[in-house]
Amino acid sequence: MTRSKRMIEIVGLNKWFGQFHVLKDIDLTVRDGQKFVICGPSGSGKSTLIRCINQLEHHQEGSIIVDGIKVEPGGRNQSAIRDKIGMVFQQFNLFPHLSVLENCILTPTLGQGLPKAEAEEIAMTHLTRVGIDDQARKYPLQLSGGQQQRVAIARALCVRPQIMLFDEPTSALDPEMIKEVLDVMVELAEQGMTMICVTHEMGFARQVADKVIFMDAGEIVEANEPQAFFDNPRYDRSQQFLSHIL
Amino acid sequence: MSDAPLIFSPKPDRPAPADTVGLLGWIRQNLFKDVPNALMTLLGAYIIFVVTGAVVNWALIDAVWSAESRRECLDQVGRAGACWPGVAAWFKNLIYGLYPKDQVWRINLGFVLLVLWMLPLWMPKVTSKIGIGLSAVLLYPFLASYFFLGGEKALVWTALIALGLCGLIWVWSTALTETLVEKPLGSWVIGRLGVPEADERRQRQTKLICAALLFVAAFAFVSLWSLSEVRTRLWGGLFLTLVISGIGITFSLPAGILLALGRRSDLPVIAAMSTLFIELFRSVPLITILFMFNTMLPLFMPTGIEVNQLVRAIVAVCLFAAAYMAEVVRGGLQAIDKGQYEASSSLGMGYWQTTTLIVLPQALKIMIPAIVGNFIGLFKDTTLVSIIGLFDLMNMARAIGEDTRWLGLFIEPFFVVSLIYFVFCFAMSSYSMGLERKLATGRDRS
Repeated sequence: MTRSKRMIEIVGLNKWFGQFHVLKDIDLTVRDGQKFVICGPSGSGKSTLIRCINQLEHHQEGSIIVDGIKVEPGGRNQSAIRDKIGMVFQQFNLFPHLSVLENCILTPTLGQGLPKAEAEEIAMTHLTRVGIDDQARKYPLQLSGGQQQRVAIARALCVRPQIMLFDEPTSALDPEMIKEVLDVMVELAEQGMTMICVTHEMGFARQVADKVIFMDAGEIVEANEPQAFFDNPRYDRSQQFLSHIL
Repeated sequence: MSDAPLIFSPKPDRPAPADTVGLLGWIRQNLFKDVPNALMTLLGAYIIFVVTGAVVNWALIDAVWSAESRRECLDQVGRAGACWPGVAAWFKNLIYGLYPKDQVWRINLGFVLLVLWMLPLWMPKVTSKIGIGLSAVLLYPFLASYFFLGGEKALVWTALIALGLCGLIWVWSTALTETLVEKPLGSWVIGRLGVPEADERRQRQTKLICAALLFVAAFAFVSLWSLSEVRTRLWGGLFLTLVISGIGITFSLPAGILLALGRRSDLPVIAAMSTLFIELFRSVPLITILFMFNTMLPLFMPTGIEVNQLVRAIVAVCLFAAAYMAEVVRGGLQAIDKGQYEASSSLGMGYWQTTTLIVLPQALKIMIPAIVGNFIGLFKDTTLVSIIGLFDLMNMARAIGEDTRWLGLFIEPFFVVSLIYFVFCFAMSSYSMGLERKLATGRDRS
């Protein structure tokens, strides 16, 4: 197997919220095109971990290197790193005062200086990709949750990221809408995007993940290929967790 | 037992019960639902009838419309009817204060210019609305203050007035080209002059040259033009009220936004200074601030520099209003979900982009009622400047009753002043409600 380049390299990451030690000695390497699924009980630090990668949270110890750029808490590299990373949130976090299309072209036109027409064209291709092109002129709150989440994915793609982070993208959705979002994510994965997804959709993990990471109490308990992880988890804690959700 | 699934078909909609919809339904639901409700409705109607009847009688039916003095009024109807001739004789003063009668056109023209300046904001095809709004705030004041104040003008002052004039010309030429040929002014001019579109450097040069020519022309015009000086102590009435509250309102919103952002800033020094300013000005009554600025400020000023009394009052009002507005804005900022900040920073937007494009538009929209409430409060609070001897609308009304011919005529002027205040405040409040409705698009599912 040819070893492709390292997109994210996390070494000895530690983070505290006040006195609370949320992340303990995390080591993680994601290579170009790999898909990681992170699962674990709530409070295990999985969201905090991916939020550290694009600096929505600042870590105190250890190092994170994204595509060769070292992430320094509050450092100058911040915007360079955020340009490489797209993020999708549990609550979609679309901008309700802007139309779907405006949501998508905001950063490309203002941050990256693309002409409006070109940005709109790119936005429309991504909106078509997620199947929302016919709703481009609507406002986010006029759409269903699943549609909003797909817009959020398209919006993140418009910044042309090399890595996509998903923070429980389907947890706030009705059961009937989960599938439409997962379908988009699967398609994205098949097109070779490097992805880290915090999710409890184990079907999705089985289908696309190169590795499933199980976290508890701020530590990576086990990291393994999905088949191996689901069929014989090595730790009692993982077994217990899987027995709850499967 | 068959294997075919049952087919679900939704029931058709039925119309709502007839007595809950339509005008009759509304009346029955809201006015005559049951016996106590009907009694309250009748009682309310009776009270409205008695009160309006009394006011109409006093103000219109029993009122005196022509008389030479209050004595004459009292001889005709006593106190049963209003004595309007007194208010009529002083009406010009209520509006313009003691401004020289032959110069009053300058005030009128000044306000007409403001209306002209703002008018393009309501023209549907105009796209440079932000520029027009900004120019109204930044450039109009120079033009207006020269109209109102007049007098000698030094070089810098002339340039500023010329800038104001250029602003007005720019606003209207932009509005016209955008409406008529649907192109921005710049590209229309360039198209007209035949500058090739590809040559960006020459285009920029042409634009600069055009702007410079316009400025020189305006400068020449302004320096030829002279208006006699009208000292601010002659300013008064509604005019003065509008000047003070207008400046206070325009200043308070941007200053309040900056203070609110400052108070929430991560930088401790800025946060502490903003908090200190806000708490200081909010904890002291406006009257006290006005007195302080009026009597104490001159003590701290170096000798020889005298700050005009009106300016002192305006500065006091502005600072007070900014502190209040800051807290309103902060309330709005806190209502914005943390996810909005996270989304915009994960998209790579910086602090100012996030603030101006994501946070403020949403926050200001929720704050419209509170902001306009503050504006209305400020408009009415300016009556307090009468305490330091400025003859605003309120003080002018009081002056009527001190005129020897109309001695003791207080109720009628105050009635008129209340009406004027009501008209202005109600207009502001209706405008804000209209704005809320207009901005509600996309807020709800529809």
